Amino acid sequence: MFVSRPELPASTVALATAIRPTAPASSRLLPVVEPLSSLLPDGALRRGGTVVVTGSPGWGATSLGLALLTAASTAGHWCAAVGLDDPGVVAMAELGVDLRRVVFVPRPRGAWAAATAELFEGVDVVLARPPARVAHTAARRLLARARDRAAVLVVLAEHRDDWPVPSEITLEVTEAAWHANGRLVSRRAVVRAVGRGITGRPRYVSLWLPGAEGAIAVAC
Amino acid sequence: MVRLMVLWCPTLSREGSRGEEPRRFAEVLDAAVELAPFARPVRLGVLAIPSKGPSRFFGGEAVFAEHLQGVVGPLLGGAGRVCVGAAEGLFAAVLAARAAVLVAPGATGSFLAPWSIATLRDPDLAAACQRLGLHTLGRFAGLEEARVLERFGLDAVRRHRVARGVDGELPGLRDYAALRRLDAVRHRDEPSEVQRGFFGERGGADVRAAAAVQRLEQRLGHGAVTVARLGGGRTPDDRAALVPWGSADAAIEGRDHVAPWPGRLPSPSPASIPSRPLAVALLDEHGHRVTVGSTGLLSSVPDRLEFEAGRPRVVAAHCGPWPMAERWWGVSRRRAHLQVLCDDGLAVLLRAERSRWWLSGIYD
Repeated sequence: MFVSRPELPASTVALATAIRPTAPASSRLLPVVEPLSSLLPDGALRRGGTVVVTGSPGWGATSLGLALLTAASTAGHWCAAVGLDDPGVVAMAELGVDLRRVVFVPRPRGAWAAATAELFEGVDVVLARPPARVAHTAARRLLARARDRAAVLVVLAEHRDDWPVPSEITLEVTEAAWHANGRLVSRRAVVRAVGRGITGRPRYVSLWLPGAEGAIAVAC
Repeated sequence: MVRLMVLWCPTLSREGSRGEEPRRFAEVLDAAVELAPFARPVRLGVLAIPSKGPSRFFGGEAVFAEHLQGVVGPLLGGAGRVCVGAAEGLFAAVLAARAAVLVAPGATGSFLAPWSIATLRDPDLAAACQRLGLHTLGRFAGLEEARVLERFGLDAVRRHRVARGVDGELPGLRDYAALRRLDAVRHRDEPSEVQRGFFGERGGADVRAAAAVQRLEQRLGHGAVTVARLGGGRTPDDRAALVPWGSADAAIEGRDHVAPWPGRLPSPSPASIPSRPLAVALLDEHGHRVTVGSTGLLSSVPDRLEFEAGRPRVVAAHCGPWPMAERWWGVSRRRAHLQVLCDDGLAVLLRAERSRWWLSGIYD
């Protein structure tokens, strides 16, 4: 059980991806990691949109929400996590999130909506966990603000109907099972994508959430 | 109380019409920091240095004081005068600098005694004491503390302790507004460079993000916005720290998190780490508490996991325990970690410490 994983660029290719120029702010889409792209309509997060992430407690909704920040943060976009007073920082690093681009507001003291709205001014992706069911007017106001500032709101909701307005995309973890071999190795999770943004039938993707080394991967 | 050496530049103590004093005092401060890294400003024209280390290095307090005067003097030009004094506690040291004496160790009380009561910076207290015939700090210090509390109140008790030489921090001695201005002059008020962009440049996005965070801090208070830093350690909660945005601690990143840590808990790590300790109960099928013995083995097979609130969960499987005995040479810490998988799919990381089980993380 001697684990050593120096987080240095493995190759020149990895180094080149790490130091490539940051994406222009005018671009309409924010990247997501490859395993998640088949869940989203454009294969990426659309600026001004909302993604609701939900699932039974312990099934991986938090990991899924954090994984949505991965590619955006490594591409140089600023991200924020509002209302997560217990972020698993090491898990974020293992998912591949660039922690230098993430700010946390762990305890917004009842002002999570105001804090989120304030962050839209300068941050591209805001991951928010509302303390309870969100009021209809507050949700509408946040949506308008996100659209106005061309930012993305990712809501971590305990129940599907905690977010009162019909969302563009709802990602729901519908199944989860751990694989253990002397230790917890990986979790196979099935994620369903529904919402206004998705035409036709709901999409299902089976993921390793997280996989063996803590990263996210497609399970076949 | 810490023995302090205070350097006082009378010409720089008050800001003149041209306003160049803060800048020139910043130069003095930088020169002093070169000699003694723990030199800190107290107010405009006054800086304090814990004298123990530099005195030993330079070979005596008097030699160090001379050295300090020799370095700072030329910075002030012809008209400038530099006074150096040393004593126990900040208040006494500032007075010693005014008198330009190095008070012998242990003689601070007798040094303070002849000074006027007005040095305590409380006009009302001074006037009352003068009328009572207590003209000096020594006479005031001779009063009983209980009588001072009775007659003058709690604030006077603090000043009484200063007059007796028990406490060195007189309220109002440090001028925080001037210190902030000094920081601005010395460019110490900018966020640390860890938050800068690639190659130390700040792109437009970084500037906008910093502005948004600053507005949010004004609304929620300092420390409400944090950034995460990875450090060395074996467990997820040891390895990660949330530090306030822009704090100097933000620079710990990259120090030793790439170093090997034998016995580090395997990845994946829990996506949710409780911010405060949460006790849980781990029971076997007979309802007895499961413990970790001195050999590092579980006393029995866990069957139920009970949280403080909510229904008990049935344990489907467990991995571990992994005992850890750290820092046996100092502040010893013994604990064991156990991964528990419940039948509803919830996986948690538990920690046995001080003969209880604690929730260390949730694999959410």
